[in-house]
Amino acid sequence: MNFIAALTILATAPLFAATSAMAHGPTRQKVTVTTKVAAPPAEVWAAIGNFQDMSWLPLVYSTTGEGGNAVDATRVLTLGSADGPTIHEILYKYQPEKMSYSYRIEEVDVKVLPVTNYSSHLTVKPLDNGGSLIEWRGAFYRGYPLNDPPEELNDEAAIKAVTGVYQAGMDALVARFGAAG
Amino acid sequence: MISAPACLCLVAWAAGLALAVTPSQALAGDLAFVTNQTGDDLSVVDVDSGKLRTTLAIGGKPAGVATTPADPRVYVTSPDSKTLTVIDSTTLAITRRITLTGGPLGVAVHPTGAPVYVADWYGTRLLEINPDTGHISRIFQTGRSPSGVAVTPDGRRILTADRDSDQVSILDAASGRRLSVVATGRAPFGVTIDRAGARAYTANVKSDTVTVIDIAAGRAIATVKVGTRPYVVALANGRGFVTNQYDDSVSVFDLSGLSEIARIDVGEYPEGIMATSDGRRVLVSCWFSNSLTVIDSDSLKVVGEIPVGDGPRAFGTFLRPTPPHLRP
Repeated sequence: MNFIAALTILATAPLFAATSAMAHGPTRQKVTVTTKVAAPPAEVWAAIGNFQDMSWLPLVYSTTGEGGNAVDATRVLTLGSADGPTIHEILYKYQPEKMSYSYRIEEVDVKVLPVTNYSSHLTVKPLDNGGSLIEWRGAFYRGYPLNDPPEELNDEAAIKAVTGVYQAGMDALVARFGAAG
Repeated sequence: MISAPACLCLVAWAAGLALAVTPSQALAGDLAFVTNQTGDDLSVVDVDSGKLRTTLAIGGKPAGVATTPADPRVYVTSPDSKTLTVIDSTTLAITRRITLTGGPLGVAVHPTGAPVYVADWYGTRLLEINPDTGHISRIFQTGRSPSGVAVTPDGRRILTADRDSDQVSILDAASGRRLSVVATGRAPFGVTIDRAGARAYTANVKSDTVTVIDIAAGRAIATVKVGTRPYVVALANGRGFVTNQYDDSVSVFDLSGLSEIARIDVGEYPEGIMATSDGRRVLVSCWFSNSLTVIDSDSLKVVGEIPVGDGPRAFGTFLRPTPPHLRP
């Protein structure tokens, strides 16, 4: 998974921070990962519906932020260890009645997560058997904004990295809440 | 289990949504040419019936599209393969693939049918292409990351939205000279010119605004606040319609009052938007939902949803009148 690779690379690599002011690649990518768990939606939402708490996602060492679950709230995810790399995110839609929230990455090193202009949606939906469907979706551009990207920063690398993060999150939630019957 | 009458009701309702037309109120009879960037193809859709006519394999992650009523050709840009694909709207077949350089994205066609203008997303230039020979005839200077391109109805001016320079370049089509540069909001992406050729409207991705430009004067005359991440402006019925990518909505503003009067929920990540040739409908390409949302420009209600391919962007003039022999 890219987060892990990133932790080792980061120590020595010069930072190529893709700021949000830059242009981006020409093709936005989309990833949707879903999973079904046995626990009811309210219980799952209670665990993952707080924007200020990403402790359910493996590799997140800490979440610190401001603004709670109000629109424009911010959070900083620190990965791996106290001095690990960080991802700065902002909440732009929060719909507890739909058990859904949407956020963007404001700042991340492309060596940590090879994407730019990343936005994401996390949603919990009821299943007929009383369990929950968890859906995590992302829309983003590759890490390299210019033409002819290097392999580690191309469209495929971006899709692979985001899919890996989402899958790790879903696997952890299945382990915690049980697979749906 | 739902009862039979309820069933019929639902079917009728769904059919009404899809068709949204009766013979007594015939609509424009347009065809939509929708670039499906993720799917690498082009959906050709009959707008009135909502039916898919054909799907053409394009390749190279197609994004931009341009056509004009005076000429049957439709142009599609593919930034990854660096090509411009030419489609004949009378046969719905690909007739030519023109190889370019850089990152062909925004595209516009001269109202007489030629030449074609292609913006280089990675550069600071606009390519003028002769579609009959496939050759680049001239290269014009723009600002950084030119994205949207539009030509005035009289064919005398070309405008480019220079995204990373926060400006619009106004070019003289005859000489190729840049006549003026107009400061806009941050990161203008789409640029749309009104039928009179008097005003242009840019959707400014990073400042959540629309800049209104007086083309003859070469200056901005107003800024309209809209939703999050606006992408393109469409004009119909005395109103501007703006796709808000991060808000899954379309902002509507009054063209005289220049302020937002309504916000319409549409599919997810709305991108390309354009009015039908009669101005009665506005079609919105929804990138994450893989559909076109159809808006009535008068009632401002959603009157239909048309499925298309994967990742529709339809960035440009993607609607044109259906050739007579293809009409139902």
